[in-house]
Amino acid sequence: MSRLKRPWMAAPLAFAGLVGCHGSGGGGTTTTVSAPLCATDPGPAPMRRLTRFEYGRSLADLTGVDPSISAGLPPDEETMDFDDIADAYSVSPLHAESYLSVAEQAASTLLGSSAATTAVAGCDPTGGDATCVAAFVGAFGRRAWRRPLTSDEQQAMVQLYGATASPGPTDGLTAVVAAMLQAPQFIYRPEAPVTTSQPVDGYALATRLALLLTGAAPDETLLEAAARGDLGTESGLLAQTDRLLALDRAGELFVHFAAEWWEVETITSVDKNRSLYRNWTDATAPALAQETSMFLTDAWQNGPTLTTLLTAPVSFMDASLAAYYGLPAPAGDGYQKVALDPTRAAGMLTQGSWLAVHAKADQTSPVLRGKFVRAQLFCTPPPPPPPSIVVAPPVVDPRLSTRERFAEHTANAVCAMCHTLMDPIGFAFENWDAGGVWRDTDADEPVDATGQLTGTDVDGNLDGVPSLAALLTGSAEVANCAATQWFRYAFGRSEQTSGDLCAISDLAATLTGPGGDFKKMVRETVRMSAFRNLPPEASP
Amino acid sequence: MKPISRRTVLRGVGGAAIALPFLEAMLPKRTRAATPPKRFFVMFSANGTIPTAWTPTVGGTDAGATAGTDAGVDAGAYQSFTLSPILTPLAAHQSDLVIIQGLLQEGGGGDGHQNGIGGMLTGSPLNPGPFAGVGAPPAGWPTGPSVDQRIAAGLAAPTPLRSLELGVQVGAADDYGRMIYQAANQPLPPIDDPVQVYNTVFSDLHTDPAVLAQQRARNKSILDAVGAEYTRIGTQVSAADKQRLDAHLQAVREIETRLTTDLTVNNPACSDPTVPAVDAQSNDSYPTVGGIMMDLLTMAFACDLTRVASLQWSRSVSQVRFTWLNIPDGHHDLSHHSDSDDVAVTKLIQINTWYAQQMAGLIDRLKSTPDAGGGTLFDNTLMLWSNELAKGNTHSRQDAPYVLAGNAGGALATGRFLSYEGQGLNHNNLLLALINAMGVPDTTFGEADWCTGPLTGLL
Repeated sequence: MSRLKRPWMAAPLAFAGLVGCHGSGGGGTTTTVSAPLCATDPGPAPMRRLTRFEYGRSLADLTGVDPSISAGLPPDEETMDFDDIADAYSVSPLHAESYLSVAEQAASTLLGSSAATTAVAGCDPTGGDATCVAAFVGAFGRRAWRRPLTSDEQQAMVQLYGATASPGPTDGLTAVVAAMLQAPQFIYRPEAPVTTSQPVDGYALATRLALLLTGAAPDETLLEAAARGDLGTESGLLAQTDRLLALDRAGELFVHFAAEWWEVETITSVDKNRSLYRNWTDATAPALAQETSMFLTDAWQNGPTLTTLLTAPVSFMDASLAAYYGLPAPAGDGYQKVALDPTRAAGMLTQGSWLAVHAKADQTSPVLRGKFVRAQLFCTPPPPPPPSIVVAPPVVDPRLSTRERFAEHTANAVCAMCHTLMDPIGFAFENWDAGGVWRDTDADEPVDATGQLTGTDVDGNLDGVPSLAALLTGSAEVANCAATQWFRYAFGRSEQTSGDLCAISDLAATLTGPGGDFKKMVRETVRMSAFRNLPPEASP
Repeated sequence: MKPISRRTVLRGVGGAAIALPFLEAMLPKRTRAATPPKRFFVMFSANGTIPTAWTPTVGGTDAGATAGTDAGVDAGAYQSFTLSPILTPLAAHQSDLVIIQGLLQEGGGGDGHQNGIGGMLTGSPLNPGPFAGVGAPPAGWPTGPSVDQRIAAGLAAPTPLRSLELGVQVGAADDYGRMIYQAANQPLPPIDDPVQVYNTVFSDLHTDPAVLAQQRARNKSILDAVGAEYTRIGTQVSAADKQRLDAHLQAVREIETRLTTDLTVNNPACSDPTVPAVDAQSNDSYPTVGGIMMDLLTMAFACDLTRVASLQWSRSVSQVRFTWLNIPDGHHDLSHHSDSDDVAVTKLIQINTWYAQQMAGLIDRLKSTPDAGGGTLFDNTLMLWSNELAKGNTHSRQDAPYVLAGNAGGALATGRFLSYEGQGLNHNNLLLALINAMGVPDTTFGEADWCTGPLTGLL
């Protein structure tokens, strides 16, 4: 399937500061108690690159451009559904040229505002005063490279200013900013190799923390905390963590992560066969994206439990989207939170975006929907069809129901081996058509939404999506899989070592333990060895 | 409507959407070489073909080729053949084609689509890597360069661009969506936004020369400084991470060369192209965007901006819906229907025929554009149209469909259908022959075991 990534829209949000329940386990500096972490081995730490999402947000902070400027870069290589897996990255001259072009635009934007330029160093460098220029280079560099420049770096950038400050100082300053924004210190996240496992240094840890929690470079407060060495203690680290988690940006980051995990970030490139789905218009996919973004944002603000994601019978819609779903228009203008019928709706599982992505252009797909549940919620992707098989989606025959069209999957023993893992889950979604709209009939017969969940820790018979959601919420395997998804996103890699598996079980316990939710799991992440320590590596 | 370039100085006066007149200042700075430049082009379309409707029929009437029997021609080489339904749009160019059938497009690592597109031009298997395949362990990028990049390196042409990768709605950045590799593990992503092509590739043609000179000096300073930082940080990270930074540094050096090299225009057919506004990623714009890309490609050749180029239509596993042919289904879904599904087969023939029309359209463009030293751009160009699979519903790559057009300045005889059925040859031999046809005297290409020498009977 063609997956054209678009910037995922995130609505702004605000919520009360999180009350921490974990503190230092060994320092004795806090009064709260935390469970000991089972993993001490940090696992591998391949050098990461800013994703387009992170790059755009960082540029916006540094120069005042719109974050969407990052659309000028080639798309991130995506694997395991995430955009930040370090091993997948490659670079080409097109990348380099895109970085040049975007950096120049951002630099011109910053230097185009004398207030913003002056604010960088507290003096106006555009007059060419050497002291102020040097201050500007140092101050901008510290924010862009997420640490103070070394004297060699400072000197190199001042030299670049000298070579380019013609016809005027602004030209030189623009060149310096453009160069800094293409340098590895900004685009990549280099961390010095170590020969024995040891803590990540303060500034690198600040970078890890800011990108993990806010999807952007550290802010001034965080840089100052790093400079003071505050992040070296668990209490200092958690204080910054809690501060960042209270920002709107943390919610935006959660939306970005969840949209990738649930494979809904591709909704804006989904289209339907409009002769069969007559209400689907150009406006539908963006509206479905907006709806899901608001659903996730609301979940983050009001307690992002796994149960909420799986079961909450609420969503967000305006009059036009409500009309698309065949629901009454909500009271009030624009998008409003609406209560849905709990016998039909179940959190993300009945979001229009998810239903439409996991369907074909001309029919529903019990295979895609069932496969998602196996692969993304249980982390046990079914084996693919044997290479010798001619895999053909059934021809849409309006006289046949979906279930009848997929009958061969159970009649043919070879197909049945794997499709019994997927189709019987997917059939439970049959009340939701390929456009994500409720239907009572299929091929003029009442919809049969019965099915089975098998081979899991919560097996049972299904009848409709809420029955599936109810089983999923009780599953330790689903909780562990949700934690696995977060682990992959958070560390930009697959789980590889026994320590990784151990870390994931710690995360899962925080997600579903008493009072647990995604916010607490995110907070727990920063306590882990994989987050705070570097693995030993050969010296360069 | 033409987009406004951020570098525009002379353009846009009065808001007229007309290509700039040819700038005097850009007239030849060197005289033309005695031998006209050879050019190489690859076009990709996805999801296999319908072999029964693709393979030419031997015999029949063929005004452009030798009449009668093929006496004296190697077994399996036919000058008298009738184009199949799918290739019919190329009929006007039949005497300039070589249709090649019967080779195995060998591949390895990943699934059939993955190693199909990855091996199509590299003749190399995929490394293990992070991209999940279907029915195979996760795979990464190929273990060697693609044929066009080998040719570009061999030609070492003094053009601003070493090669130009264009695409139409190529989608995500994984190994299903990449076919051009500068080296092992170094995919070159195609640009699939016409405005971006205009702004970057053609900037020399719409920028005042004095401003351009200033920009060049400035770009050089900036990129030198950036390069120095990659070198510096490369010494402060692990060996594996240094490799990544070195690859980035190489990319920086490459654009530095381009952005600081003067473009020498010696072809009056070279002019600043016009780029109409279009939503480049909307499904129904697919034909329009492709047409614009072929216009830009033709102009890039005319201006001698590059001599090696490619056009990637969508990607392997393409789900483009050919609504303009009244086919609302996703292409990949359709490609999995059984051979006995007549409706699906008819649609797939229509889709592949449409791609043949596009190939014909590009040939038309090249044939109608004068080359600098006389003749047309087509005369010195060698074109390859290929697919990641032979058949979509089995993922078979036996008898993968290859169409060559042009003779690379007389390096090969055209107007032929070459069948290698039963000879057990891999397509590496074809790729090697193309390299030789372009004047690069290599003796093997890609995975060594898959290549037994240049394809016999082609050159």
